[in-house]
Amino acid sequence: MSEITKEEGTQKVSRRQIISDLAKATFGLAAGVAVVSATKVQAEPSGAPQEQLPQSLSKQIPQDQMVLRMQRELYTAMQKPVDQRQWAMVIDQRKCVGCSSCTVGCKAENKLPPGVIYRPVIEEEYGTFPNVARRFLPRPCMHCTNSPCTKVCPVGATYKREDGIVSIDYDKCIGCRYCISACPYGARTFDWGDYYTEGTPELQKYELEPAFEYGEKRARTKNESPINNTRKCHFCLHRLNAGMLPMCVTTCIGRATYFGDKSNPESLVSELIGSSRVLRLKEELGTEPNVYYLL
Amino acid sequence: MLKRFYYSLLLLLTGVGFWALGVRFMDGMNVTNLTSYFSWGLWVVFYIFFIGLSAGSFLLSTMIYVFKMHALEKVGRISLLSALISLVAGLMFVLIDLGHPERFWHTLVYRNMSSVLEWEIHFYLLYILLVLGELWLVMRDDLSAMSLNQIGIRRILGKVLSLGYRTSPTSEGRTQQIHTAERWVRILGMIGIPMAIGVHGGTGSIFAVQIAKPFWNNSIVPIIFIVSALVSGSALVTFLYAFFGKKDSDKPNVLASLTNLLILFIGVDLILVLAEFLVGLYSGIPEDMHSLKAVVTGQYGLIFWLGQIGMAAILPILLIRLSRINGSEVMKGLAGLSTVIGIIAVRINLVLPAYVSPQIPGLENAYVDSRLVYDYFPSSIEILSTLGIIAFVVLLFSIAWELLPIVSNNDPKTSGRRTENYGIDTKGTTHTA
Repeated sequence: MSEITKEEGTQKVSRRQIISDLAKATFGLAAGVAVVSATKVQAEPSGAPQEQLPQSLSKQIPQDQMVLRMQRELYTAMQKPVDQRQWAMVIDQRKCVGCSSCTVGCKAENKLPPGVIYRPVIEEEYGTFPNVARRFLPRPCMHCTNSPCTKVCPVGATYKREDGIVSIDYDKCIGCRYCISACPYGARTFDWGDYYTEGTPELQKYELEPAFEYGEKRARTKNESPINNTRKCHFCLHRLNAGMLPMCVTTCIGRATYFGDKSNPESLVSELIGSSRVLRLKEELGTEPNVYYLL
Repeated sequence: MLKRFYYSLLLLLTGVGFWALGVRFMDGMNVTNLTSYFSWGLWVVFYIFFIGLSAGSFLLSTMIYVFKMHALEKVGRISLLSALISLVAGLMFVLIDLGHPERFWHTLVYRNMSSVLEWEIHFYLLYILLVLGELWLVMRDDLSAMSLNQIGIRRILGKVLSLGYRTSPTSEGRTQQIHTAERWVRILGMIGIPMAIGVHGGTGSIFAVQIAKPFWNNSIVPIIFIVSALVSGSALVTFLYAFFGKKDSDKPNVLASLTNLLILFIGVDLILVLAEFLVGLYSGIPEDMHSLKAVVTGQYGLIFWLGQIGMAAILPILLIRLSRINGSEVMKGLAGLSTVIGIIAVRINLVLPAYVSPQIPGLENAYVDSRLVYDYFPSSIEILSTLGIIAFVVLLFSIAWELLPIVSNNDPKTSGRRTENYGIDTKGTTHTA
């Protein structure tokens, strides 16, 4: 309980900060504009058109301010050169209700076929009746700093970007699936070329629509990449480049997933990583994951 | 008649296999029963099986050409040929296992120095050249003779494969040539030893370097790969020589040497496997434990006890022991065959059990999909294409055996491998049965 109060406390502080920031805002910070739009203060950020700016869902939900803060920090991070930002994700397991809306959002955003999953939610059950508890563990790619998967790729098709994202060059990947075995988190899956509506009179249109992973427009057609390639979570790189948060962050109904630039000490994720509740999966392997959990 | 049946059977299997391969290339990887969590299967099993067979046969050949074990001289060419054909098979299996086989050339163009697989592919290609070179050197006199004395296809083969080499008519020229061949075979063999160890120890390292799979992630794995390669290589050569080798007064001695080696390798292999399992089971690291239990008592238990322990260890040792009593060559040959088949079980149990448990507990139930399970049994296309490739390489081997001077190297006049005529003292290192 004390944890929650403390949490709300920080939220209040941060909201107050945001509002005072906004009041002072005369230029620049794009996300601020969204809230500010209600207060009729118009500040045009350089290069980011007005219509892309996030609109406040409801001023009544304090959690919403977190999203706006992350959004604002995302813009700040995107202004920096790529090698000066380090993306990180924080998942609060106490807030996660196990609704799997991140899984669904991700599936839809990246139009993932059968057998390909970027962010399943693992359900853990503890104790014996009547003293039982459940906990949920969403498992995206950890985007490890010492990534075992990029080390083993024989053609360097999967690699660590300067901003920390482990990405795949679909046109280079030969489909050997070495990286799948090498990942200690099971975060890599293979596109087997299956369709959900295979064996029905016709393949449904939604399966044939292109996805925009890595900013490339690709429809799944037989034996063409990304079919027969390894696929994985990429923190929605294409959305980041368009100034949007990853899909799983946006769809999280409990606001349990946070995302931001770890190299900015004032960012929300940096704050949360400093919590004593923080842990990472399989730290003993020395992979240095960039996805943190708050237990 | 029997021969005709043999070739028809091989052709039939090859045909069916190539049809299956056609389906695989047309439809892509979804013809397999592999899953995103159980990502390597039957094709990888046979890839490491054949690479092992190749490395083992080659290392056996170096015992003759480098370490001068003249007792084994008769099987030199057999081991080199099986090293070559096995490698071809291994490469075929790794090729069809790629999601995008048409991009195989990426491995030679785009580099990632930290990838074991990348290094291995280079090793394989250099190694295949080396085996070819060595095979040519030990056969060139016979090929030259073939192009002169034979008719029809053998004559053409002799002309093409001898690459213009002709045995010198004078005796000094001849001695010179033999000497050159001798030297180069030895040099190639010496380069070949670390290379063959690299080829198979490295293949083992592909598995051993993966921290994600505790079942593989220990330093004994590459060593087991090399030793079991020696087991399978010497077993294959024993089988081939016992059944199809030329009958002469030397044969019992050669077979005795081969079976001695085989038993030695099996013994060392058993010790290593024992070490791996005892340490693993004692330590009880959960993921490792799941795999080890699956092998010893679980779904891979039958393959382990019947294949790995029964066919690859106990049965061959018994057969060889019994054959010593009645001098049966057939029993020695069967011991070899049984071991080769048993090694398939070893390879199955090296690859598949690593995938039986989820990387994170609960992941198996996190998202339900038939491609997201920790369970695998090869599809009919996988099985048929595997049988097809095996039939195809056996066919290649049989044709090479028939047409090339593989078993005729016991004639001093056409052999590049005798030591009587030039003054190198090899007596001291000559091994006898």
